[in-house]
Amino acid sequence: MANKPRVAIFDFTGCEGCELNKLNFENELLDILAHVDIVEWREAMDDRVDEYDIAFVEGSLSTPDCIERIHEVRRKCKVLVSLGSCATLGGINAMKNIQPIEEVREEGYGEDKYLFPTLPALPLSAVVKVDYEVRGCPMTQIEFLKLFTALVRGQEPVKPDYAVCVECKLKENECVYEKGMICLGPVTVAGCDAHCPSFGQYCTGCRGLVTDANIAGMEEILVKHGLSVDEARKRLQLYNVNQLEGVQR
Amino acid sequence: MTRFLLTEDKVITFIEHLQKQKNVFAPHKRGTNSFAFEQVSDPASVMLDYTRTLHSVKKYFMPPREQLLSFSLTDNSFAEPTVDPVDAIFLGVHSYDLQAVFKLDHNFSEGNPEKNYLKRREGALFVGVTFAPDQWHFSGSVGINPNDADGFDVFLFAVENGYAVEAFTPAGESLLSGFEMSEFNSDIPAAADFNQHIYVPQGKLSEVFDNAWDNEVWEETSKECVGCGTCNMVCPTCYCFNVEDGVDVTATVGQRERHWDACMTRDFSEVAGGEVFREELAARQRHRVYRKFKYISDKTGQPWCVGCGRCTASCSAKISIVNIVNKLVQDHEQATVAPV
Amino acid sequence: MKDLYFPVMAEITGVKQLSPMEKLFEITLPGGVDLEHDPGQFVELSLFGVGEAPFSVSSSPTRKGTFELGIRNVGMLTDVLHRMEAGEKVGIRGPFGSGFNVDDFKGKDVMIVAGGIGLVPVRSLINYVLDNRDDFGRLIILYGSKTDKDLLFTDELQQWTDDPKVEYHVTVDSGSDDWTGNTGVITTMIPGLDLDLENTKCVIVGPPIMYRFVLLSLNSKGMPEENIYMSLERRMKCGVGKCGHCQINSSYVCQDGPVYHYPDLADLQEAL
Repeated sequence: MANKPRVAIFDFTGCEGCELNKLNFENELLDILAHVDIVEWREAMDDRVDEYDIAFVEGSLSTPDCIERIHEVRRKCKVLVSLGSCATLGGINAMKNIQPIEEVREEGYGEDKYLFPTLPALPLSAVVKVDYEVRGCPMTQIEFLKLFTALVRGQEPVKPDYAVCVECKLKENECVYEKGMICLGPVTVAGCDAHCPSFGQYCTGCRGLVTDANIAGMEEILVKHGLSVDEARKRLQLYNVNQLEGVQR
Repeated sequence: MTRFLLTEDKVITFIEHLQKQKNVFAPHKRGTNSFAFEQVSDPASVMLDYTRTLHSVKKYFMPPREQLLSFSLTDNSFAEPTVDPVDAIFLGVHSYDLQAVFKLDHNFSEGNPEKNYLKRREGALFVGVTFAPDQWHFSGSVGINPNDADGFDVFLFAVENGYAVEAFTPAGESLLSGFEMSEFNSDIPAAADFNQHIYVPQGKLSEVFDNAWDNEVWEETSKECVGCGTCNMVCPTCYCFNVEDGVDVTATVGQRERHWDACMTRDFSEVAGGEVFREELAARQRHRVYRKFKYISDKTGQPWCVGCGRCTASCSAKISIVNIVNKLVQDHEQATVAPV
Repeated sequence: MKDLYFPVMAEITGVKQLSPMEKLFEITLPGGVDLEHDPGQFVELSLFGVGEAPFSVSSSPTRKGTFELGIRNVGMLTDVLHRMEAGEKVGIRGPFGSGFNVDDFKGKDVMIVAGGIGLVPVRSLINYVLDNRDDFGRLIILYGSKTDKDLLFTDELQQWTDDPKVEYHVTVDSGSDDWTGNTGVITTMIPGLDLDLENTKCVIVGPPIMYRFVLLSLNSKGMPEENIYMSLERRMKCGVGKCGHCQINSSYVCQDGPVYHYPDLADLQEAL
């Protein structure tokens, strides 16, 4: 590529863990930087620019200001990539979406709540066109690298649409259920190389649900393994409340 | 053939004896409640008394992830990977898992023989061991019993205080030679019974499956199944795969990799443009079970399931292939009984 | 033992825009050797770093030295391919699968029912018949397309229109203002045909939804099932009968197909 793509990085409502995760690319960071010019990144620099090729956006949209800003980002970029569960699904923030918004505001800000307008936490795709997604909480590094490499080569990235179980079994991990825990791997989109189960943890579903996921079946599995119906639903809602409860994506 | 007694206290020295000849792979403990084949470094950690391993020995001949070729993007060229024979002793293999290897041998030799698999398969020696059926094994129903030494180079029959060891091939005899054991002249005790069974033999199953296409069991099962693909991934006779290219972050080199794939997942039958040819979970479940008892079986005369029970044991919904097949058998028999 | 998965590096020697979505790629194997395919067979085309995908060969084996692939831009690989130019290299494996057994068609009338991109694979057979015109009886081509802007191989469509020895009929689902031809689905052209049913070999290639309707229509026309052939699309990933992706019941499309004799599909519930 003659001119390096100009990249801008933005954060909305989230913990900023995805951004830090980018800085964690110890071995690959220099390779990444060699391929692009980073022109705007609040976390690391002061510059503001009017145009860029690729915008990486972290965080969900949960205030009127977010909505305004994401439209601006969309206008200025050619390719918009959502990074992490908040930007892609609404994330944990979206748990508030199934509670009365005024109660949430009061709980969060107390007496000062009138200073902080709030909206249901939405994924970017609910408001603007998103070209590509990097899922995960924090965003999955290997998926980011694959997407990044594809984009600098001018290609479409591969999007897996099968369960984490497939990747977990490829590594011959002992099943998390076998350890007496419950796991959302069976309905969660792969692409993380079964990161959590490989370290003895259960899958929280942070990468979102596979297409046409059998939610009733998954709830039944959770109940079979000792959760109440209510707990089972809540486990699934942790990252996927917007998708499960029909909030617009 | 002569049998020898390998007492429990000699097992470690026996493994050491094998290690002097070739690399040895055997079951080890994995995690809390599971087992896996691993290369033996410490013979004391080998578990000959185990239920079933997470994966069968298939993983050595068809690795879960495997490089098909490496390429350079700078000059658009590719290089072959080196594929070497595994050339090792597989110790403590259960009879059903060896039969599964023979089935894969068939799949990779017929039609277009596949070099990668067949090359790796060269030189492998198998030392079997009796297994005690747990609640999920049903290999007796597909003609494979705990003491079946069919195809093994050496078999360790479980007896009181150890194993009765018998070699069945010249290679097996040479594995044993130089290891001191007394002869074993008693009878081998009968293997334990299975706890579950498919009611009819394969010959009859083909007919059952002729009438099973529209059975309600597929729809019923699909309510519990979430299509995670685990049953495929752990099956010792599943060999479907996907191929993907990976590119290094420098964007100059990469590799074409194949990995095991699962027909229970939705995107397995998806084509460019988005059409999915087995969209319903019920259709996918049906395809999986037909592959084990009908499609390949009609061509080979054998069930393509070895009764290891992995698909059920590993299923978080505990969907039982035995129950599915028995339901089909039952419905078939009811339908074919002449009305009174 | 031959390695099943290594491609031959071939050169793109020509690219032609067929429609807004489709391009025709002319491919030349090293040394200009012939692909030696049967009409209806496919190849696996690979681009390193992108992947590999199956494409039906669109040219007739009677046209020597190069072969052609008509490719719609619908995915990751085709998107990259559509940006490639003559002189660039692609990997080719194949030809694979069972194509049309042209010997069965000799001396018979040949009727082609092609929907949309289905014209791409069947063009191989059409041109084979045209290049061996005296070996076959009538050549009847029914071609249906979404709109007149999506019509493929328009030069050749014109030649077929002008050729007195080709009975070419075309229809579009919806035509633009300057479209003066037939409008309607492809099946509307079948009832009016005057066919020697026993002596006509009929080939259907099109999107999955089309098969059922065309079969119904041929059935009411009285076309014997043993005279019907079709080419099916599945995900032929390996091309050599191993990976399982293209399986329809007990049949591997990459081996037994993509061209099937209709009576052989009777046992394959998942086929249509």
